[in-house]
Amino acid sequence: MDGYVLGIINLLAINCIAALGVSLFTGFTGVFTLGHAGYMAIGAYTAAILTVEHGVHFIPAIIAGGLLAMILAYLIGLPTLKLVGDYYTIASLGLGEAIRLVIENWQSLTRGARGYPGIDNYTTLPVSLGFLLVMGIGMFFLVNSSYGRAFKACRDDYVAASLLGFNTARYRVLSLAISGFYCGVSGALLAGFMSFVQPVMFDMAKSTELVSVVVFGGLGSMSGCLIGTTILTLITELFRPISQYRMLIYGLVLVLVMVLRPEGIMGTNELSLRYIKSIFRRRKKMSATEEGAR
Amino acid sequence: MDTIIQQIINGLSLGSVYALIAVGYSLVYSILLFSNFAHGGFLVIGGYICYFALRSAGMNIWLASLAALVGAGFSAVIVERLAYKPIRERTPITLYMLIASMGMSIVIENIFVVTVGGRFRALPPVIPMQPVNLFGLATTSAFDILSLVTAMVFLVGLQLFLVKTKWGLAIRAASYNLRTAGLMGVNVNRLIGIVFFVAGLLAGVGGIFLSVRYTLYPQLGMITTKAFVAAVIGGLGSLPGAVVGSLILGLSEMLTAGFISSQFRDLVVFMLLIITLIVRPTGLFGKSVGEKV
Repeated sequence: MDGYVLGIINLLAINCIAALGVSLFTGFTGVFTLGHAGYMAIGAYTAAILTVEHGVHFIPAIIAGGLLAMILAYLIGLPTLKLVGDYYTIASLGLGEAIRLVIENWQSLTRGARGYPGIDNYTTLPVSLGFLLVMGIGMFFLVNSSYGRAFKACRDDYVAASLLGFNTARYRVLSLAISGFYCGVSGALLAGFMSFVQPVMFDMAKSTELVSVVVFGGLGSMSGCLIGTTILTLITELFRPISQYRMLIYGLVLVLVMVLRPEGIMGTNELSLRYIKSIFRRRKKMSATEEGAR
Repeated sequence: MDTIIQQIINGLSLGSVYALIAVGYSLVYSILLFSNFAHGGFLVIGGYICYFALRSAGMNIWLASLAALVGAGFSAVIVERLAYKPIRERTPITLYMLIASMGMSIVIENIFVVTVGGRFRALPPVIPMQPVNLFGLATTSAFDILSLVTAMVFLVGLQLFLVKTKWGLAIRAASYNLRTAGLMGVNVNRLIGIVFFVAGLLAGVGGIFLSVRYTLYPQLGMITTKAFVAAVIGGLGSLPGAVVGSLILGLSEMLTAGFISSQFRDLVVFMLLIITLIVRPTGLFGKSVGEKV
């Protein structure tokens, strides 16, 4: 395989980690976000500064990036997720911009808008795939645990969930913190992959991209969000010559998916042997009834 | 002293333009309970219609503004019919409409990027900008006074529409409970159409003033983020709250720009939002809504 293909696979793994985080928050907990690129920025800059200026090994640096993003997400979530309504969504719009502004203006620490160069190229393919594997398995167990069921309960009917004794606000904040961790790690890996970070890499467009892959793949399906990320990343690569249409396509995808198939490609199903079998069985049953009708 | 008064007038003028946008957004929120992120798109559409009516069609400012307002209003209705109506007829989940509105806002922004290009355009000098002396107290530009007055006129007009007319009554009823209003014989689809038209029209007014203030470009709609923040500070879904929140936001933004640094403007806006949500989570005028099972 040549370097280009390897690079795409690497980028795909990084994007998948961030998409898993957004999928937990938007897909499984049901809160829309437009600021998750901000958490990626925190992770990226933390890892960059720790490895370049303090000589920290890259693995603790990546985890530190994730943890810092997680703490910030928790602090933002506390006041905004207590309320039912679009409060967090509006706050997340401002948050993404605020993080970018702080990074741009804190010249002494982040070198401002020109970007932070000279990061070690630590994100090799085994590193990114390893992180994806570990974090994917972690997410799988989380979603299928009692916590995962509580998240889904908050999404589907928060009144019923709170009547059953779940502290829905606490679960939403927890979900946001974990998704912040995933995005922070993803950002840290991106810093090591590009060996250069710049505030504009984490603007609104990036946040929108994160949310559109999750919506496209299926709200509430882990494998769906991975499939969505793969398809949209590949489309982006294929259509690189007409990149000015890229955002237009993202926008249309969001609207069309919501109007035609709001559950996304996978719905809330997971890609498993049983799901594939059930598709074929449904097909067989349909053709059987058609024959019976004849 | 002069500078303070001048900055306060500038702040009120900017805040009143935010108010036009925030009120339309709040109106839609109070009926359909979702954040319409495509609202910024209506503002950009209004701005571009005004620009091309002045530049290419050679209309005077009154005709061009009228075309911009009506155009922005109708584009809002079209967006509702294309993107939100199919969703709200099928499911009560507002998250889907929220996502669709985000998509619509990206689509509108990028239609302008692709067709007319992303460059910054200035409206022809049709709105007076010369300095005005206010009773010897302070000097400010005629534009600031004009935008303040126009915004007030439109806000009072909206208030009269909501209080004095039959459709205004229906809108107020629907903001309590859309379903019940429908059961009482209100044509819900037409009501939502009217709400979107009014919201789009107000955004169009805001769009003209913002494109004079900051020049016109496809991403101008991003400014609505501040109007959303203002609506949250005032209390989501409350119209007086949206106006007061916008004025507070405009003032604090201009005072920060004037006395600290204009780079911290957006940061101050965000800090205000977080402080409001910690101290008074439902905003200044918001009612805490108890959910009925």
